[in-house]
Amino acid sequence: MQHEALAHTEDFGGPDHHLPNRACLPGRDAPYENYALGKPYDEMFAADGTVRQHYAALDGRLTTLPPGELQRRQQACELSFLHQGITFTVYSDNQATERIIPTDLLPRIVTAKEWARIDAGLRQRITVLNLFLRDIYGDARVLKDGIVPRSMIYGSKHYRREMRGLPVPHGAYVNVCGSDLVRNEAGDFVVLEDNLRVPSGVSYMLANRDVVRRAFPAVFRSTGVRAIEHYPNELLATLRSLAPYHDDVSIAVLTPGVFNSAFFEHAFLARQMGVELVEGRDLLVNDNVVYARTTSGLKRIDVIYRRIDDDFVDPLIFREDSSLGVPGLFNAYRAGNVVVANALGTGVADDKAVYAYVPRLIRYYLSEEPILDNVETYLCREDKSLSHVLANLDKFVVKAVGESGGYGMLVGPHASKTEREDFAQKVKADPDNYIAQPTIQLSTAPTFVDGGVEPRHVDLRPFILHGEHTTIVPGALTRVALKRGSLVVNSSQGGGSKDTWVLSE
Amino acid sequence: MLSRVADSLYWMARYIERGEHTARLVAVKLESMVEQSREDADAAWHRVVGALASAEFAPKAHDAYVITQALAFAKANPSSLVASLRFARDNARQVREQLSTEVWEHLNKLYLRLQPVTTEAVWGHHPARVFREALEDFHTLEGVVYSTLSHNEGWYFIQLGRHIERAQLISRLLDLHFRSLPGVAAPKYFDWLVLLKFCCAFEPYSRAYTAQIRPEKIAEFLVFDGEFPHSVRFSIDRVCDALLHVAQAAPPARRAGVERLAGRLKATVDFGQIDDLMGGGIVPFLADITRQCEQIHESVHLAYISYGAETVL
Repeated sequence: MQHEALAHTEDFGGPDHHLPNRACLPGRDAPYENYALGKPYDEMFAADGTVRQHYAALDGRLTTLPPGELQRRQQACELSFLHQGITFTVYSDNQATERIIPTDLLPRIVTAKEWARIDAGLRQRITVLNLFLRDIYGDARVLKDGIVPRSMIYGSKHYRREMRGLPVPHGAYVNVCGSDLVRNEAGDFVVLEDNLRVPSGVSYMLANRDVVRRAFPAVFRSTGVRAIEHYPNELLATLRSLAPYHDDVSIAVLTPGVFNSAFFEHAFLARQMGVELVEGRDLLVNDNVVYARTTSGLKRIDVIYRRIDDDFVDPLIFREDSSLGVPGLFNAYRAGNVVVANALGTGVADDKAVYAYVPRLIRYYLSEEPILDNVETYLCREDKSLSHVLANLDKFVVKAVGESGGYGMLVGPHASKTEREDFAQKVKADPDNYIAQPTIQLSTAPTFVDGGVEPRHVDLRPFILHGEHTTIVPGALTRVALKRGSLVVNSSQGGGSKDTWVLSE
Repeated sequence: MLSRVADSLYWMARYIERGEHTARLVAVKLESMVEQSREDADAAWHRVVGALASAEFAPKAHDAYVITQALAFAKANPSSLVASLRFARDNARQVREQLSTEVWEHLNKLYLRLQPVTTEAVWGHHPARVFREALEDFHTLEGVVYSTLSHNEGWYFIQLGRHIERAQLISRLLDLHFRSLPGVAAPKYFDWLVLLKFCCAFEPYSRAYTAQIRPEKIAEFLVFDGEFPHSVRFSIDRVCDALLHVAQAAPPARRAGVERLAGRLKATVDFGQIDDLMGGGIVPFLADITRQCEQIHESVHLAYISYGAETVL
């Protein structure tokens, strides 16, 4: 990739001589004048204002950069993203404008010890979520044993009856998972949600690395950052492992098309893996075999990495008004002539109510304790929890399980008394539909804002690959809420992203 | 390769060629207009507009500013320079994973750079400059396409699109110079010189025929020369060559129709001679070339892109 104007001016002498007796304190000295340490855990500074050891090299660089240099590098980085077309499309007033997702140049750093725990915890979790999916689409032992209420599964709009009794390769339903982790005030990583359908963002993980490594080459080198560039290879190996045979496997990435906001990522992954990027209209099914229409004729497809939601995959089985998918695809899948990754019906396991059961599922299937905790979650369907939540509505975030994107939600501490009372009525009327979580203060990380460095809230989305084996590339997408004080990291809500450095030791 | 991908690469190339052609005609015209009388300049603008815009979007005025606006920067005119670039980029974006980073970035940068430009902003001082700069970028883009993409089937679809478009654009431009247009002054010496410059042909022509400017020699050069890249024959050779390299695994029955049309078109220019063009013969000759190009376009589409699945199962 080209990175015009990205500076290579940094000296390559290693970080040590940047570090005399440092005197730059957060909240006092440049570039940290506006760095207010608060109650949330800060990734860079300990509570007393000292720099955590793994941020020392970055700190050394930041405090010695000439004024304006950071700004210049930030602008070069944004220009590079624009030129590469790493953009998402915003539609308003009948006009489509392309915007870049803001990338903050300052990396978020995770120590080897922290990562080891995250890695082990995510492996445990993906194993259990797949066992759970195999179970509920098979014997439903977990329901018979009363671990999870039947109504919660069979009533879920993401449960796909069509998947009942259908074997999937290696029992791997979720082949690509993006789990959102946050760090609580105590400094522990906890899981906020699992994305088991078509998680996106991995292209930003890779693109961010590319620009940030160029912006801070010496810091990058001396910090000992683990590589993530092999992600596309690992994804390819995972997809390949799902095919019924191993020679000459034909793999395609199925995208909704250029108007999808994640189209850049679909094209990026196809290119990096060296496989076809197809749209629904490129594929056709004949005699339960899937073919792509090529200039020379029809070509058989064996594995489809689909980036289309269940509902749109096959208009004959799911939404008939959808033109994004492929008529007949599901029957070809059922006949075992094509593998679809992720499998259909995985969404039932990332529902907010099922999420609350994951720790119990870990104990049930593996007889182990969860390595990564959930955010503490109260299920209003359980009487004890319900009364506790209703009595303390001002302390909880209450969410409707079937909704996402902030709909059907009460943020207790920010709601008025009337709003809380109204919401209490709704919860009482249909307690099964609600869960409650205490408000969590996401940790903050140093972020480049208005010429200085300020703390902003971040989360962490690592990507887990699961086929014949489980693979987790040591990296993640760190999403950052660029507005001061905001806890919302979604890109549609003014969020940006950061490169994530996982250290080798 | 995927039929949809082949189609996008083909159209990307056609729009790039159209954009480059537009930029060159406008640049040359803006540079040369100062040396002409008002009447001749208006006639020359008339031919340029005819060569670049459909009747619906052709500006009615003879004003250079208005014409430049319409041909170059009007987003509503689907064959304007910025519209061509937008379509080229839209197609490239569809098949982003098939292009090298260099090709994508050059095209994307050219698009991003020209998109916000207004006629007003460039008019004050040396308005041709923005088009000259764009031409440099187009040439770089062509070089990057040549040197960073594998010369595989997709690359040949790019060649096919570029040269089908070029053969038709040159034919149309020649037609407007040889056809008598009611109420428009006929081309004079200076216009023939400019016609060569429209096709970057002045120097190559001079080497072949000396600098003696004669319409029939110009026609001969721009139609029949086998070595000059902006001649009709050169483009048709490239079209035929590209057709040999695409869809090679397609069943012979589907290839046969395309190959027959290509062979006929090649024979038309290989065995044609200047005598066919004189005495008013050139206008129907060029119309025949254009029609044959359109037939090839349609038969390629039907044979390799939009064939019915039932025909191959």
